[in-house]
Amino acid sequence: MPATPDSRSAPPSAPAGPPPLSAEDFKRAGDRRRVNANRAAPRRRPWMLLWLLIGPGILVMLGENDGPSMISYAQTGAIYGIGFFLPFIVLTFVMAFIVQEMTVRLGAVTKLGHAELIYTRYGRFWGFFSMADLVLGNLLTLVTEFIAIRAGLGFFGVAPEVAVLGAFLVVGAVVLTRRYWTWERITLGLAVFNLIFIPVAVMAHPAAPAVVHAFLTWRPLPGGVNAQFVLLLMADIGATVTPWMLFFQQSAVVDKGLTAEDIGHGRADTAIGAVVAAVAAIATVLAVTPLYSHHVAAGNFQGAEFAQSLRPYVGRVGATLFALGIFEAGLVAAITISSSSAYAFGEVLGHPHSLNSSLREGWPFYAALFAAAGVAAGLVLIPHAPLVFIVLIVNVIATLAMPPAIVFLLLLVNDREIMGEHVNTRLANVFGIGVTILLVLAGLAYGITTVLPQLLPT
Amino acid sequence: MNLPAPDSDREARRHPVGPPGEAWVRETLEPEQLAKAPPRFGRASLSRGTVLLLWALRIYVVLMTCLVGLQIWRALHADG
Repeated sequence: MPATPDSRSAPPSAPAGPPPLSAEDFKRAGDRRRVNANRAAPRRRPWMLLWLLIGPGILVMLGENDGPSMISYAQTGAIYGIGFFLPFIVLTFVMAFIVQEMTVRLGAVTKLGHAELIYTRYGRFWGFFSMADLVLGNLLTLVTEFIAIRAGLGFFGVAPEVAVLGAFLVVGAVVLTRRYWTWERITLGLAVFNLIFIPVAVMAHPAAPAVVHAFLTWRPLPGGVNAQFVLLLMADIGATVTPWMLFFQQSAVVDKGLTAEDIGHGRADTAIGAVVAAVAAIATVLAVTPLYSHHVAAGNFQGAEFAQSLRPYVGRVGATLFALGIFEAGLVAAITISSSSAYAFGEVLGHPHSLNSSLREGWPFYAALFAAAGVAAGLVLIPHAPLVFIVLIVNVIATLAMPPAIVFLLLLVNDREIMGEHVNTRLANVFGIGVTILLVLAGLAYGITTVLPQLLPT
Repeated sequence: MNLPAPDSDREARRHPVGPPGEAWVRETLEPEQLAKAPPRFGRASLSRGTVLLLWALRIYVVLMTCLVGLQIWRALHADG
């Protein structure tokens, strides 16, 4: 079936002249000048080049170590301790790297964001088809980020209204720099604090031989395969592999100005992000293992409850760091996910869509960003809003929505007309299809345990 | 046509990132990196098999999302 025609479907025609420049072109060119100067220098500085080119990959991986993700990891550690889930979390980050690396190539080669590319290539119908999950998923996820912010700061006695409004203002302040580079570096600086879970893990004194044993054998798995196991499996996958990551990283790669020459560095950026985020995720699991050892029922805990419950085992400092970690996870994700929504909005409607845009040129982009963050922040403050419900479903929905998103990703990255020599290799396709099948199977397992819970022990 | 738009000119003066003028911008960026670059790619059609796959996955997402709702409803009911 051919894609539905629309007003943006006209084939490319020869431009009458060079397009006029906009503010974002000047800023992006400024960033590229530094990259080019480094490449052209008689004595190349590889680390400086890496520093200039990293960003989207680390941000997307640490951005996805968000509020609900860290809570999922904490619940995993509290319920299952050191065992199966440690290597499983590493596997989820391998899956995340496989799909995110494709977005780097797509962005660097086509210079179009993910939503824009689907629209351009397959038309309005399939564009909206692929966007439906993103819009719902991003709104729900943003709500959970503000829940995490509220919970993290709630540990310190900060009122919910103050926490949420303060976080909203931080998101706005970072964005209003109107400079992608500045936005990226500030957000990277905040994202580093995701590693705050490492000292908490050290304070929890996990048994090193048990950790090694878990990585080597994927065991133990207390309680075996049951409904709770399947739910946490889905939540941990959704904590690492989600549709917004595809849209965000490709748009950020384009906004940063990466070109085909930078694909290797983009790949390294994504790998570094995956490794750092996996370490933070595993540290979170290890940090809460005292709750597992002491049989603390943590199934319905949110961020602040984890910090309070950990206090007897990791001390006041450890509990404080844990609460700060939950707050940071929510804040960084609020910044990246609201940007992801704004990028997709601008790409789909044909408005300027860059963090380099001036306010005058890019006001619809900034308005969309503030609207996304504002609606989510507002929902969190509604009395008796079903916040626990949203936290419970957000990662599961992300996992369920991922297979269609990966199909579009694979279609685009295998399109030789747009990708040229950077088209997917056979091995990359095997991995990509493998990830899709794995996600569908995990979803089906979840569905079966929901419809027929008697099949598995409770 | 080649003159910077007033807005971009103002931004460039406010946040100087390179030499004056716009020639350096065009030299530095690839033509398709410009914000107002014309579209380069035409439309591609999806094969019948791909369309079927996408619809099958859409049905899968809708059904599974309903099951998520069912599970949450059960959980809330059990708590109540």
